[in-house]
Amino acid sequence: MEETFGVDERNSDDLAYLSVRGELDLAAAPTLREHLYAAVDRSSGPLIVDLLAVTFIDSTALGVLIGTQERCAERGIELRLVLEDARIIKIFEITGLTELFTMSPTVTEAAAR
Amino acid sequence: MSGTEQDGSELRTISEPVELSIPVQSDLILLARLTAATVASRAGFDVEEVDDLRLAVDELCVLVADGGSVGRLQLTFLATGNAVEVICTLDGAEVQDGQRPDEYGERELSIRILDALVDEHGEDFEGDQRRGWLRKRNVHPGPA
Repeated sequence: MEETFGVDERNSDDLAYLSVRGELDLAAAPTLREHLYAAVDRSSGPLIVDLLAVTFIDSTALGVLIGTQERCAERGIELRLVLEDARIIKIFEITGLTELFTMSPTVTEAAAR
Repeated sequence: MSGTEQDGSELRTISEPVELSIPVQSDLILLARLTAATVASRAGFDVEEVDDLRLAVDELCVLVADGGSVGRLQLTFLATGNAVEVICTLDGAEVQDGQRPDEYGERELSIRILDALVDEHGEDFEGDQRRGWLRKRNVHPGPA
C-alpha cells in the first residue's frame, strides 16, 4: 500500500526541524514516534515540528506528540509546532491540547519565538 | 460496495447499507475512512462534515480494535434520512481489554473527538463482544 505519510529532517546548530506530511494515524504513529524521539535525543535547542503538510491527525498521533512534548520537557527542550490548517487546529482544540503546545502558523515565526 | 449508482452527472444517494470487512491491521483503517467519506459525501454532507465523519470513524475503529491485531473489523454504514450511522464490530478475536497503549490518554482523546464530532456514539466492550457505533446528522441538508 502506498505510503500515506513521511518525515523530512533538517538540523542546524541552533535548532532541529522536522517536516511531517500526509495522514498521521495508527499506522503512521510508530514511525512518527521514532523520528520525533530521535530528534529530541539529538537536540540541544528548540525542536520545530512542521505540520503544515499534514492532512489528517487522530488520537494516536496526538498521543505521540504529547509523548514528544513530555520528552522535550524532561530534557529542557522547547517543542514548537507549526500548523495553520483549520481542520487540524480544530482537532487540537476539541481535545484541549492547544494549551499544551506552543503553536505557530509559519516556520519562520516558530524559529523566531 | 452496494447501493451506489452514478448516472451521468446525477449522483444518487446510498439507500442500502454499505458493508466493509477489513483485517485488524493499522494500515487498512484508511479503507474505513475512505468509505466513511464516500458515504457522507453521497448523503449530502458538506466538506467539513465529511472530514468530521472520516475522523470519527477512524477513532471508532481504533477504539474497537483496542490495539489488537487479530480478527476482522466489520463496519456497516447506513445513510438514514439526514444522518449517517456507522456500526463497527470486532469479529474473530478474543476480547482483551486494555491492549491499546494509553500512556498519554489516547483513549480519552478518542472519546473527546467522538463527543465533539458526532451527535451520538457508544461503545460496548462487555463480555465477548467489542462493538462501537456512531450517528452523525447532516446539519446542512439539501432539498429532499
